[in-house]
Amino acid sequence: MASNNKYKRLNDSRDFIVDNYHASLSLSDIAKHSCMSPYHFLRVFKDTYGETPNEYLIRLRVEQAKRMLITEHFSVSEVCEKVGYASLGSFSSLFVKQVGVAPTSYRRKLWALSAEAYCFPAQAIPACYAYHFLGKFAK
Amino acid sequence: MITSIAHTTIYVLNQDESLDFYKHKLGFEVGDDMKVEGGFRWLTVHPKSKPELQLVLAEPKEGPMFSKDAAEKIRSLIEDGAFGAGVFETENCQETYEELVSKGVEFIQPPTEQLYGVEAMALDNSGNWFSLVQRL
Repeated sequence: MASNNKYKRLNDSRDFIVDNYHASLSLSDIAKHSCMSPYHFLRVFKDTYGETPNEYLIRLRVEQAKRMLITEHFSVSEVCEKVGYASLGSFSSLFVKQVGVAPTSYRRKLWALSAEAYCFPAQAIPACYAYHFLGKFAK
Repeated sequence: MITSIAHTTIYVLNQDESLDFYKHKLGFEVGDDMKVEGGFRWLTVHPKSKPELQLVLAEPKEGPMFSKDAAEKIRSLIEDGAFGAGVFETENCQETYEELVSKGVEFIQPPTEQLYGVEAMALDNSGNWFSLVQRL
């Protein structure tokens, strides 16, 4: 784990990624927010958070894409653009790699499970919570 | 074999206000913020370096598990400070204490030497107690 001061600087970069995940971000751009050289930043970031800045960025983009696909009416191309990808092919490949299904299939499957439009189904959260708060068992 | 704990619940009075507290005062990150069918909001946060442990910020509301009366009692108990949110760890308790105080976090005990390290105690915006510990 990094020292308190270094950890704070790393968090600044992490916050920068969160605030700008939809933009084109280079390692140098991100590292600047921690006042570190890109190589040093990459190593310390991975040591601290267990994933590289790029892995974190991809995970964040995919999570945002999942949310948009379910709760918004954007097309897959629009979602792709909104989470920072210029190529629909690259976005779809990454999505499949992270989620296991293509964006369209993900949307179709979850929409079919949900009783309400533009909402995640109860099956998307741990069953004990779904039962506790919604009275539903996942089927 | 159970290998870890992934989610634990902190009952809060207002999810929006708690999100602001955990994110902007404690510096946590949002894990999930999902609109779920049935009007339920699945909201989780975690320390930036520990995404594997999600704290579920949930409002006690009338529903399958709570009657209206039970939900109101739980809300009242939260306000009375009857619940604890747990123990958060830090590398430097004094430094983190000063940082959180400057952000307006209410402490009920400043950093104090304990057998297991240095510990301060604070309240979240709902009234849940939590410890801030620097282990030996």
